[in-house]
Amino acid sequence: MNAVDYLVMFGVLVAIAAYGMWRTRGQHDLKTYVKGGETHWLTIGLSVMATQASAVTFLSTPGQGYESGLGFVQNYFGAPLALIVISIVFLPIFRRLNVYTAYEYLGQRFDAKTRLLGAALFLIQRGIGAGITIYAPAIVLSTVMGWRLDLTILCSGVLVVAYTVTGGTPAVNLTQKYQIGVIFAGMVAAFFMLLAKLPAGLTLHEALTVAGGFHKLDAVDYSFDPAKRYTIWTGVFGGMFLALSYFGTDQSQVQRYLAGSSLRESRLGLMFNALFKIPMQFFILLLGALVFVFYQFEQPPVFFNQTAWHQQAAGAQGAKLRALETDFNAAHVEKQQHLHEWVAAERAGDDRAANTAQAAALAAHQRTEAARAATKAALREADPKTPTTDADYVFITFIVDHLPHGLIGLLVAVFFAATFSSKSGELNALGSTTVVDFYRHVHQLRGTSRPDAHYVAAGKWATAFWGVAAIIFAMSVTLAENLIQFANIVASIFYGVVLGLFLVAFFLKWVRGTAVFWGALAAQLLVFVLYATLSISYLWYNVIGCVACMLFAVALQLFLPKAQRI
Amino acid sequence: MPPAPEITPPASAPDDRRTGLPALRTWRAMYWFVLGVFALWVTLLTWLTRHFA
Repeated sequence: MNAVDYLVMFGVLVAIAAYGMWRTRGQHDLKTYVKGGETHWLTIGLSVMATQASAVTFLSTPGQGYESGLGFVQNYFGAPLALIVISIVFLPIFRRLNVYTAYEYLGQRFDAKTRLLGAALFLIQRGIGAGITIYAPAIVLSTVMGWRLDLTILCSGVLVVAYTVTGGTPAVNLTQKYQIGVIFAGMVAAFFMLLAKLPAGLTLHEALTVAGGFHKLDAVDYSFDPAKRYTIWTGVFGGMFLALSYFGTDQSQVQRYLAGSSLRESRLGLMFNALFKIPMQFFILLLGALVFVFYQFEQPPVFFNQTAWHQQAAGAQGAKLRALETDFNAAHVEKQQHLHEWVAAERAGDDRAANTAQAAALAAHQRTEAARAATKAALREADPKTPTTDADYVFITFIVDHLPHGLIGLLVAVFFAATFSSKSGELNALGSTTVVDFYRHVHQLRGTSRPDAHYVAAGKWATAFWGVAAIIFAMSVTLAENLIQFANIVASIFYGVVLGLFLVAFFLKWVRGTAVFWGALAAQLLVFVLYATLSISYLWYNVIGCVACMLFAVALQLFLPKAQRI
Repeated sequence: MPPAPEITPPASAPDDRRTGLPALRTWRAMYWFVLGVFALWVTLLTWLTRHFA
């Protein structure tokens, strides 16, 4: 990055944050600070989208498209269905009861202890998630750019904490609108630059043919093989379950759409996401698949985390790593020759020659993949702590090595803008839940309520506390490779039980607070025990936690002594 | 045993019963439209998978 890139990056990020702080300064009303003002549906729609799309979405997803193709898009197939259910069932109830947080509804439907349980489960899982949201992109960007990791975390963390604390929900919604605008602009610019960087004369159709020939365009899988991670069935059913939990019960999302000036605005904001979530993810994955095509005609590095590779190449495994790099480069050159023959045969309409050239290119590709696998093994052998997955580094490597200055700065700003947008939504929700469901709630129970300005100040302190805690967490963790998976595991362990609480509240009207409270605790305990003893996919804990919570609540309601069935 | 708090269907404001959009005026139409677009995406992605396989 040169001075122009830094100017673009800092200019974009600081301008949005400063504008957000200035426009939303002087908040003294708790309703405005927590729920936002009279927000338009488009702002809500963009805000919901921005909260979900973290930097990982824009760093890792193209890498996923590069490595595994478009199949990951199926993960989002359940989202439109879940958003319709939330729009019909969840949202009208939240709005009618005029709640500030989703857990406040649990208090009105059940009792104080169930509300506190729901809020506590959210604070635990989202509090850990907030630290990871800031750490994950910082580790990749600092590695590639040569920045100090702690300063990267500190600078980006302080800026987002500052405007989230001062402006609350209005600042979060306002800045997210501009941040997602920058993100879209950057990704579209990267897409067109990528098309321009493809070999002269290669059409988009030919590029897609090459991508499809390497199975990078396999988007939908109708098979019932349970061993496959992404199929249309896991996407529709599992994805719907996850989206219901996330959009319907996670305060970081609920707070976004409760900001609507009316039920109509909130609903339209959700439907905006129901329409555009799949195309957005498809576009990002397609970008990754096209980066794959680009690197078939250009020489890619044998391992995209070049910093890690160079560190180990200078050590005891150096000779082995360089020999593997030579093998990889030789196989790649051979693959390029067959690719040119394949494209020429396609243009000539010679199917037989095209098939022969494609088979030869695939065989050469297998040799490059074998060299990459051996490189990863050698890196692990040299230092077991070396990260050996490099998918997160694919897109940023393409940006830094092949895009013009100015655009590099804009795309690095995209990654930070995505970090800010998701992080601000999380901090805003954590601060609101702490004050509304714990601090103010305890005051209300004791009959010692204070003026609104007091709770706004408390909300600012709570948001700042969670922000500082997230920064400290991000600066102290050393897990380099499995953080995203760690975040998903933590979320899956708690999400199921929280969704179970809400489903009982909505659909099992005869079940009361005591039964659902102890049922949820028992279900959470069961999930902990199963997680410690079984080795199943963590996604199943969403289902297990939810079903167990509902079953235990029903059983307890039936068998509790009459005096305790309240 | 005291009755559970009643969760009745919300009494929507008149403005909330309509989407306010020119083409999709009712929420039912909006939901069917979203489902239709979803089905269209699945069809297009299936075509993409098979055409370039």
